[in-house]
Amino acid sequence: MADTSTTAPAQPAEDELAPKGSGRVITREMTLMLVVPPALVAAVFGAFVWWRQTADLDSVEAQQLRWSELRRLGVEHVQLTVVAALIVVAVAVPLGVLLTRGRFRAAAPVVIGIANAGQAAPSVGLIVLLFLWLDGGFWTAIWALSLYGILPVLRNTIVGIQGVDPTLLEAGRGLGMTNLATLGKVELPLAVPVIMSGVRTALVLIAGTASLACFIDAGGLGEVLQTGITLFRFSLMVTGAVLIALIALLIEWLGRVLELATRPKGI
Amino acid sequence: MWDFISERGDIIAYNALQHANLVLQAVFVATIVAVGIAVLVDRFQFLDPVANTVSAIGLTIPSFALVGLLLPLTMIGALTAFICVAFYATLPILRNAVVGFAQVDKTLIESARGMGMSDLGVLLRVRLPLAWPVIHAGVRTSVQMSMGIAAIAAYVLGPGLGGYIFTGLTQAGGVNAVNYALVGTVGIVLVALVADLLMLLLGRVTISKGIRA
Repeated sequence: MADTSTTAPAQPAEDELAPKGSGRVITREMTLMLVVPPALVAAVFGAFVWWRQTADLDSVEAQQLRWSELRRLGVEHVQLTVVAALIVVAVAVPLGVLLTRGRFRAAAPVVIGIANAGQAAPSVGLIVLLFLWLDGGFWTAIWALSLYGILPVLRNTIVGIQGVDPTLLEAGRGLGMTNLATLGKVELPLAVPVIMSGVRTALVLIAGTASLACFIDAGGLGEVLQTGITLFRFSLMVTGAVLIALIALLIEWLGRVLELATRPKGI
Repeated sequence: MWDFISERGDIIAYNALQHANLVLQAVFVATIVAVGIAVLVDRFQFLDPVANTVSAIGLTIPSFALVGLLLPLTMIGALTAFICVAFYATLPILRNAVVGFAQVDKTLIESARGMGMSDLGVLLRVRLPLAWPVIHAGVRTSVQMSMGIAAIAAYVLGPGLGGYIFTGLTQAGGVNAVNYALVGTVGIVLVALVADLLMLLLGRVTISKGIRA
């Protein structure tokens, strides 16, 4: 999983390249990543539907694999991911901006260092510790997922804003812009591609970690897989695993589309 | 907390070693596989976007899902954990190895050929040493990432410290639940830290003197 610190920690090489590669050119890899995953998801999901309709399931399996049940868990999975991602963006972007302002600038390396160290903690560990501390349920899972997804967005916000050409800031000031105006009209728009690439990384981390929410009674598609492992039923395991993977791929794809859609014109 | 650790010191240390062992073995295999694939990609250029797409898609698939897909084939135990960790470990190394080989100056390869080196000689004595700093960076990322994945693989009884986290989970409400979960989580962070230092050291030793930064 893109877990991964890990995970995440998953795509550092790409993150670091993002500022330079934010030109208008759409590389072949980007095109492939926009086309292949949805096609793959559609094909695998089609195969799954066909299997589900024709397979000979015993009563336990049929009970677990009811369409209504799968839909409920899928919706839960998406809710966990989206709510956590929104919280991450709402917290990490302003925090990142703050850490590039005036006297807070000195704190930036410290905060990044702490966030980096936190990222090395295994996602399961974080989830279980928060569970033992706060008890189970949706919001505990949201806590864990948001904490886990903050680093990439925070780091990319800081890197993105610091990467803005200082001469452009000068030019903005020369035009009589206030500090707030240069931030809103020059720095943030120029940093958006880098920030969005961090958001996509965070989405992947969160969607992957959401599959562990079932351990703390917060639902999600991990439940199907967990039940499958507990009862040792291959049909449940594979269904759970495939659906988790498909949702993660879709969410990653959505992140890429968002990345393209939010890229300001002229960059 | 302190009593908890001192009573179980030996077994915790053993599990920490097991954790490091699983990750390092998996990363070792992953490095060989990834470099092998990267050599192929370098030979057949059209594979380049394919390799990158496969690695991007692979990294998107949650590790818990891969565990579920592997279980019917490899059953519960260390083998599943090993394959799972090795799969994810391969991807960042592959990505970096492809970039690393592509960056090697073509004129150097020409001159090596001109000196009469065989293809294998060029690979082992020119291309690999020159691409190694980039590959090594990928290996480092891989080690860090694998630490967390090995923790998840402990759900299907993979070796290592992850087991403590799940013990903490199943004993929730019990006296030692938090101790178990903490030992597992903090232990993995510490093992990851030590492993990263070792990887830095490995870099000092293996990166050829002439191109060391």
